[in-house]
Amino acid sequence: MNDKNPTLVPADLRSSGSTTVNSNPASPPSQPGLTLQFTGSAGEYFRIWIVNLCLTLFTLGIFSAWAKVRKKRYFYSHTLLDGTPFQYLGQPIPILKGRLIAAMLFGVWYTATHYVTSLLPFVLIAAFILAPWVMVRAAAFNARYSAFRNMTFSFAGTYTSAAKVMYGWAILALVSLGMAFSWWQQRLKKYIVDQTSYGGVNGEFSATGGQFFKTYFIAGLLFAIAMIAAFMLLSIGTAAGGENSFMVAWVVGIYAIYIMAYAYIQARITNLVWNNTQLGPLRFKSSIGVRSLLRLYLTNALAILATAGLLIPWATMRTLKYRADHLSVIATEGLHEFRGSEDGSVRAVGAEVGDFFDFDMSI
Amino acid sequence: MKTATPLTIETRLYNGISIVPEPATLMFSGPMASVISRSTASQYPVTKLRVSPRIGTADRFVSLPDGIQLQCADGPLLDRLPQEGRTEGLVAWLEHRWWVALFSLMVTVMALLAGYFAGLPVAAEKISARIPIEYEKSLGEESLAWMDQRKLFMPSDLPSETQGLLEGSFRELHQGLSMDAHYRLEFRRAPAIGPNAFALPGGIIVITDEMILKTGSPGEALAVLAHEIGHVEQRHVMRHVLQNSVVATVAATLTGDASSLSLAVSGLPVLLAQAKYSREFEAEADEFAFALLRQNNISPGLFADLMERLSEGRGEKRQSWSFLSSHPVTASRVMRARQAARE
Repeated sequence: MNDKNPTLVPADLRSSGSTTVNSNPASPPSQPGLTLQFTGSAGEYFRIWIVNLCLTLFTLGIFSAWAKVRKKRYFYSHTLLDGTPFQYLGQPIPILKGRLIAAMLFGVWYTATHYVTSLLPFVLIAAFILAPWVMVRAAAFNARYSAFRNMTFSFAGTYTSAAKVMYGWAILALVSLGMAFSWWQQRLKKYIVDQTSYGGVNGEFSATGGQFFKTYFIAGLLFAIAMIAAFMLLSIGTAAGGENSFMVAWVVGIYAIYIMAYAYIQARITNLVWNNTQLGPLRFKSSIGVRSLLRLYLTNALAILATAGLLIPWATMRTLKYRADHLSVIATEGLHEFRGSEDGSVRAVGAEVGDFFDFDMSI
Repeated sequence: MKTATPLTIETRLYNGISIVPEPATLMFSGPMASVISRSTASQYPVTKLRVSPRIGTADRFVSLPDGIQLQCADGPLLDRLPQEGRTEGLVAWLEHRWWVALFSLMVTVMALLAGYFAGLPVAAEKISARIPIEYEKSLGEESLAWMDQRKLFMPSDLPSETQGLLEGSFRELHQGLSMDAHYRLEFRRAPAIGPNAFALPGGIIVITDEMILKTGSPGEALAVLAHEIGHVEQRHVMRHVLQNSVVATVAATLTGDASSLSLAVSGLPVLLAQAKYSREFEAEADEFAFALLRQNNISPGLFADLMERLSEGRGEKRQSWSFLSSHPVTASRVMRARQAARE
């Protein structure tokens, strides 16, 4: 087989109708793209959503673990890279265990913050100790139960290494009154990417804290300007004597500013993270625009509110399709660097499901 | 061995070592299945094969006992092979049908409405009646201490005779009620809060100096206390906690998918849903208070007088916004109180 061939599909499969391997016309011919498509449909997902929701309600939430598997399976199975769907291998029982633990922790947290405030210091200390563990468990579960072409992802992070990244930089962020927040975020992302591997190849993350800082700084600046304008309007409005309706308009305005800032950060940070992530020969190009993402969020929110939630599945499909459409995968050389191993195979995963400590903390 | 024509499925083979797929044909007839690709030809007992669950119209995977996976389009032939999960097959069958989806939708909407309007309030009432109020005591103490610490509550400036007099009539008011042993009246000055009274968990009732200064007679103060007694007797604290947490949990389940905007989308509906329960508790406490006042030969009209005086300064919110409020519209409470006074 030709090692220089950068696509993953041999010539004899390319002719079959279901797999099309186009070189992305937008990118130069030296960097051919692997097609990434999302093929989910709103009608199909609506049925999955409502049936699982109904079963969840009537089992008082127990079925939610099974529902999560079905939904994740749908998302993964309809995301195709180079003609091959991703596979979600998570099993309901570990997810149910994770949810029960999460519910318990949330109950303790809620009680301590709302009712028995004298417990709060202890709960905070426990949360401080548990947070790196939760992060590592969630990342490990997600990686291990995600597969592509009969090879699973894996996550090599440990409690101590996670705690170092989480708290070493968090303390700096506190000391610098938030100035170092961007660097902390960058370290966290870098940690997740660098510790994740696929087919024996580790991810590499090259975005700098400065790049994160730039994004957060601009977002903060825009937010501050918008807030000042809103407050000035409010004082003019109250002086003019407008009451309830003006207050409502003002609240809606603040809401809009919040959503704009959110969309800005989401778009820019997602682009930044993908564009600086490399997995062996694979590079990524994320091109989410702030305005188009904002339009997506607003139309989704309006559609959901106007139909009392009936269009939630439609919004979900749209969002996933939008994401796939704005992400391209570029292979810089042959992909033979990825080699499966015995313990990374899909079969090895199933055997581990009985492990007591195997549960999903990613809600 | 002679058998009927073998059934064949065209697949892509992933051996788990190489990332490059190979075209392969899966054939099965009788108890054996064979996989033929350019590089291999192997046979497996059909019972050892596992097919991944059907999901929408996505391609499915057949796992072979030696770790190889075959990707193929979904089709009825796959149903003849052993399935990976049994329950998922059933769920997939349900998900595939529009009539099931519409039926689920109908049942879900009806269950949500019935649960919200009838089931949940009734269940919360039944459950709270079984939880001894003693469990709330420490909660009440905590909240009071918290308010004191934050200087939201400050020591009362009322002369001790006034306090003593009110305490005496308060005791008479709750005498013989089911929570009789648990009541405690606390006086606090609360410049930040203004005229108000609170029923804290566990039977602690706080009345602010500002409220007492607004009352024209001791009867009016007792009318307010009767309302708070109503909250305690009817276990509104516990019911409030139970109902609101169920509403929040169900809302989170419903909108969980749209997580990027989950709060933005569900925040307002949840607040509205919870505010309705809150207004119902207020109305219930009012009704309880009117009955209790009449039993003690105090006119519920006093409650109306005080409510009107309290609302004078504020300028009542417009009727059209009432669905946002945690309390019923004053005008309707006043009307109901006057009506009760005439009964």
